[in-house]
This record gives sequence, structure tokens and C-alpha cells, in this order.
Amino acid sequence: MSTPSEPSEYESLIIDDDGLLVLTWPRGVKITGPSARQAFDDVNRICAGTRRPMLVDMATTDSVNREARTVFGEPCAASRIALLGRSPVDRVIANFSLGVSRVPCPTKFFTDRAKAMAFLREGIDE
Amino acid sequence: MSDPIDERRLDDLVDLIVQLASGDLSARMQPSPARDSVDAVITGINLLAEELDTIYKTLEQRVAERTIALDQARVALERMALNDALTGLANRTLLGDRIRQAGVHAERGARPPCVLVLDLDEFKTINDGLGHGAGDRILVEVAKRLTSVVRETDTVARLGGDEFAILMPDATEDDALRVAERALKELQSPFTIGDRAVWAGASIGLCFGLRGQGAEHLLRDADTAMYAAKANGRGNVQVFRPEMHHAARERLQIASELGAAIAAGELSLYYQPIVELASERIIGAEALVRWEHPQRGLLLPADFIAVAEDSGHIIELGHWVVQAAISQLQSWITTFPDYPFQLHVNLSPVEVRWPGVAEFIREALEQNHVDPRRLALEISETGLMTGDVAGLEALLTLKQRGVGIEIDDFGTGYSSISYLRRLPIDTVKVDQSLIKDIGADGQQVAFVAAILRLIESVGLRTVVEGIETAAQMNQLRLLGCLYGQGHYFSKPIPAEQMTQMLSDQQTARSG
Repeated sequence: MSTPSEPSEYESLIIDDDGLLVLTWPRGVKITGPSARQAFDDVNRICAGTRRPMLVDMATTDSVNREARTVFGEPCAASRIALLGRSPVDRVIANFSLGVSRVPCPTKFFTDRAKAMAFLREGIDE
Repeated sequence: MSDPIDERRLDDLVDLIVQLASGDLSARMQPSPARDSVDAVITGINLLAEELDTIYKTLEQRVAERTIALDQARVALERMALNDALTGLANRTLLGDRIRQAGVHAERGARPPCVLVLDLDEFKTINDGLGHGAGDRILVEVAKRLTSVVRETDTVARLGGDEFAILMPDATEDDALRVAERALKELQSPFTIGDRAVWAGASIGLCFGLRGQGAEHLLRDADTAMYAAKANGRGNVQVFRPEMHHAARERLQIASELGAAIAAGELSLYYQPIVELASERIIGAEALVRWEHPQRGLLLPADFIAVAEDSGHIIELGHWVVQAAISQLQSWITTFPDYPFQLHVNLSPVEVRWPGVAEFIREALEQNHVDPRRLALEISETGLMTGDVAGLEALLTLKQRGVGIEIDDFGTGYSSISYLRRLPIDTVKVDQSLIKDIGADGQQVAFVAAILRLIESVGLRTVVEGIETAAQMNQLRLLGCLYGQGHYFSKPIPAEQMTQMLSDQQTARSG
């Protein structure tokens, strides 16, 4: 398990015991271009050349601006991404991101953590 | 949904949609902490509004950029359509528009416009001799010089080739003449091409417009006046007069008849003696062409040489003159074998730059068994000042073979004495205008004396032309001038009379 060394606007970024990347945004976060860029760069650094499935916990995100959505459209070390939220608002924000920026790997929104993990594990098995 | 709070949120949401629909894409609504379905709709609308706003702004920016690019392209196109690419001056189309505008102002009380047409006198020589790059640099410099002499309200245009025009709206006669004289002066100064100084010179035609006169008409009349300036010896300004059209037609007629006249033997040579002033002995003669025109009578070179140069007949005419003169010279040498006599033949600048000139003259001398030292070629001052390298080389070749090379009409152009030293010449013929007042004007005597001394100091011989009185001859003798020609000694005479004169002189000498 490792954590990024630089301070960030995301809450945490780890590789769990199953080898999955888990990125957690704090509650009520406003994701901007620079914060998205930092998360994106840290994901790439932590993976050190390998590709891994990633769980993004984005429940209660306040907003994701256009610049941040553009960053999420760039290819990164994540081989597939499960966006985990709770409310219809999270769903709209997540799907807006998926629709506006064409995602570079299989990406889906879930409100059920178990279903999200199952989706990611499909990636490990591939 | 009956919850009053929900009702209010939905009303607010409707207000948001109305505000967005009205075009205010900055409008947003804060979702509630409940993050329920209504909040999801609010969030979606916020996000769509943001997207729309961004797309609109991007589009507006693109439209603004394209509009600027289109404007720039339109300006560039207009410039291309209305301005001369080389000099940036107005072109014929723009000039025509401006003349028409000036005409409209004239109808409302302003003075009618005045148009000057300027043509460089020696541009072809420079272009042919130094290349098109040099020619282009001169055209650009001419544009700058012309722009520097006009008023702010005037338009300087390039009509094409080496022809320029100046439109002066609401101009007095004095304004126009002042600009014409200044333009003439500016264009008579040398142009520097690399380390060379070349002279282009210009002839200027000026036409004062009349109320209601069309642009084409005005330009045509100014052009006619410019051709009159060319015919008047170049390097001068002529104001249009209606009779110039007649003269222009005459020139066209002469040009069309000249070729046939040479073949029909209508040309003949007259000879004006050149004398040693101290002894008044004939030491040579200048051959001068005459045209016995069946309808117009005897025409002098001034009536048809400029036309021949412009129409391209000058080479044919020049060949005839050289051959006829050398043939006559051979006849005199045979008749007076011991008489030291040199025949002077005029060569036009166009002939000087004709590639075969040196060879042609050598052949003519050989065919007639004439010693090259018996022949001298006279080239006008302006003809030698154009920096034409090939022409100067041809003259140098002829000089090395013994042919005398003489600069004609010295004092009418702008050549400096130091420049004369660099030319392949041995004699300077001083123009008659310099000695006109020599009998009466003490200052002019000093001026001519200085010129004669300067010419002598660079090792050149002087012949003064246009001596008409005994007073002029005596004054020149006193100044130490050795040779002269003019009506005081003899007007140009036919070959038979010249033969008689030489015979008389020979008898006097031997007697």
C-alpha cells in the first residue's frame, strides 16, 4: 500500500490488498482542473508503468468543472474505472463527465460498492 | 411533490430555465444538501448551461478570429486590386477612382484636378544593363521620391512599367508646376545601385482638368503632354495643349513612314565642319542626318530621332547613317589622302546598348578600308550616364581600336567631371547653351573658362559647338579653346559642298 507524497485536494489514493487503485474525494469537493490534474499525475506515478483498475469514490461531490472533465478524458494508468456515488446528483455529475469527455478506458457509475468492485475485478481477470 | 419546499425548488428551477432561455448562460442554481432527484435535475441543468456557455464563448471567439482574418484578407485583396505590388503606390484603377472623386469635388466648387504623367527616360537602358533587380530598386526609389514632393491630398500612382502619375485635386497652376518641377529635379538626381550611380531622368506631361472632363480623358491628355516632353529632348515638363494631339498623330505617322523612307533613299547626310579655332582650318565634320520627306519637305533629326528611338527604327536608321558616313569618309580620304580629317557620327544611346554595335562599326570601317582613327562617335551625355555596362564595354572596344569617342551636349545633363574620367572617351563636346551669352556675360565667361580647364585637367579634348558669332569665337580662343563648330563657320551642308570646302582648304594649305 502506498500513498502519494504531495498534498492534494483528493482525500486519499491507495493501492489496496487486491491491487486496486482507490481514489477518494472528500465530501462536498469542487473538482477543478488543477485538482484533477494532480490526482491524474499521482495515479500514473503510483502505478509506475503498470495499469490497474481504479475505484473513484466521488459521493457527495459538489461539482466537476469543464477543465477537470477534460483531464478525466486523457488516458492514464487506470485500466478501467468504477465511479462510486450515492445520490442522483452524483449520478448526473459522473455521467456528465463520461459523456462530455470521451473516456479512454471502460468507465461506469455505481451506487453499490460491491457491484463496483465486481466490475473492476472483471478487469483484473481480463 | 406537494411539499412547499419542493414546490419552491421547482419554481426556482423554472426561473433558472427561463433565465437561461433568455440568453443569460451564467445563471446557476445551488442544489440542496438533500441531493435528491430535483437536485440531480438542477445539477444537470447547471452542467448543461456551463457547456452551452463554453461552446458559445468558443464560437464567438472563433467568429471574432475569422472576422479579423476575413477583414485582413479583404484589406490585402483591396490593396492588391488598388495598389501596385512593387511600390505600394496607387494603381491605375485607384487613380481613376480618385480622379473621378476629384471631379465630383470640382462640380461642387473645388478647382478641377490636375494630372501629371511621368515616364523615366533611361529606364530600359538601366533594366537591360543592370538587370531587373536594379530596375525594380529604381522604381521603388522613384516612388519614394515622388511621394516626397507631393501635397498630402495628392495621389501618386504607378501606371505600369516605368510610367507614374500624380493626381493633384483642387490644385492651382502654381501648385502643379511646382510639384512637376520638384519631381523632375528629384528624378534627375542619380540613383545608387550597389556602388554605382545611375541616372534615369524623366519626362513629365501635365494636364489641367476641365470641369466635367472624364478621368480617362485627363490621363490621356497628360500622357500626350508627356510624349511631347519626350519629343522635346526628354528631361522636361510640358503642359498639355490641344495641338499636342496633332503632334502625337504626326509622330505616329512619322514612325510608320520611317522604315520605308530608309529603303526608298529619302535619307541623306549633311556635314557641319569642325574647325581649329586658331587657324579656322577644317579638321573634321559632324555627319547630320536629314530626311527629304516627299510631303513634309526637309526634316531635321529633332523631327524624327526621338520617334525612331521610341518606335525601334533607331538601329536601322543608325546603321544607315554609319554606313553612309563611313562610305563618304572613304571617298574624302581617297580624294584628299594627306588631309588630316576626322568624321564625327552621332550614336543614339539605344544603338550604344545594341549588342552588335562594336562589331558592326569595325566591319563598316574594314569594308571601306578606313583607318578607325578617322572616325569619332558622339554619344549624348545622358546616354552615357545610365550605367549601362555592356554599352560602355562596346565603346571601350571601339576606343581601343582607335575610334574616337566623344561625349555630346556636355553641360545639359548632370555628369560630373570626375565621372567623365571613368568613361572611355577622349573628347568632350560642350553644349551651345553654355556659350550663348559668353560675349556679354562676364560671369558666364569665367564659368566656361573653368569648365574648359577642368576638362583639360582630366586629359580630354574640347570641342565647343554652336559658335554663331565672331565675338564668341574670339572669346573662346582667348580662353584657350582649341576646336569648335557652329554657323559662324558653316551651317550643315551636303556632301558635295563639303567636298568643295575641303578642296578649297587643301588648295589654300598647299598654296
